[in-house]
Amino acid sequence: MRVEYINPFVEAAYNILTEVLGGEIRRGELYLKSTSIPVMGVAALVGLAGDVEGRVIFDMNLSTAMKIASRMNQEELATFDELAKATITELANLITAQAVTKLHDLGFRFDLTPPALFTGDNMEISDHEVEALIVPMETSQGRVEVNVAIRDRL
Amino acid sequence: MISKQDFPSINERAPEGLKGDGSAFKVLVVDDSMFVAKQIGQILTSEGYEVVATAADGLDGVEKYKELCPNVDLVTMDITMPKMDGITALEQIMAFDKNAKVVMISALGKEELVKKALLLGAKNYIVKPLDRKKVLERIASVLGR
Repeated sequence: MRVEYINPFVEAAYNILTEVLGGEIRRGELYLKSTSIPVMGVAALVGLAGDVEGRVIFDMNLSTAMKIASRMNQEELATFDELAKATITELANLITAQAVTKLHDLGFRFDLTPPALFTGDNMEISDHEVEALIVPMETSQGRVEVNVAIRDRL
Repeated sequence: MISKQDFPSINERAPEGLKGDGSAFKVLVVDDSMFVAKQIGQILTSEGYEVVATAADGLDGVEKYKELCPNVDLVTMDITMPKMDGITALEQIMAFDKNAKVVMISALGKEELVKKALLLGAKNYIVKPLDRKKVLERIASVLGR
């Protein structure tokens, strides 16, 4: 996986999380995964197809998702309801839009799918023939992992 | 004892969302994201605007505009929506009412679609993430405030 694909998502995640959450955002140690990856509880998945193909997942546990959704709505949300889900979906939209703009500026052309939100316990993500790079972002609301599996179109 | 009430406040201003006669500008919010629709609604109502209806897709947005017209002063229109996208909905609203005031709400990276919308008659656009000050400025400018 080329580093040019990863950096725009990491930078966009940092910028958008800083803008919408405030507080300090710290990037953790990134790591590669080529086998099934457990999902933390709430995962927004965006597909990419074009010059590059693959997917990006914004992964967090339910508690972090609730805190982020509450912060973005400027009110305490009691349950992970449709509004909370819409909020996390919009967060994924904002990050991906900024990342894609940077990738387009680098000359890559591709389309995005609308984010799909997955919630539940004991979920795993498996990618066929592509490694995933996971970049943890530590926020005041908890950890958000930017999980990128992208390759040149075959 | 002199109190604050004894002096007119030079810093107070009427909310931007109110017309000269004291009634509120009426806004139709068209967005498939419950979060974004709520955020726009909160920003607008905090400044005196009245959100008269919301629609979660372009088709519903067009139908609601036709029902509400002429009692809607402005439409905020998301671009990417199911059933009917914002560009098509804009075209249909402009065909129905050439004086319609539509402000597009766009994610970053949709510049070509925003340009298309402006050529089709949209009055302005706002890029997400929504900034309260920018939202209010753009909408006020479209309404001639």
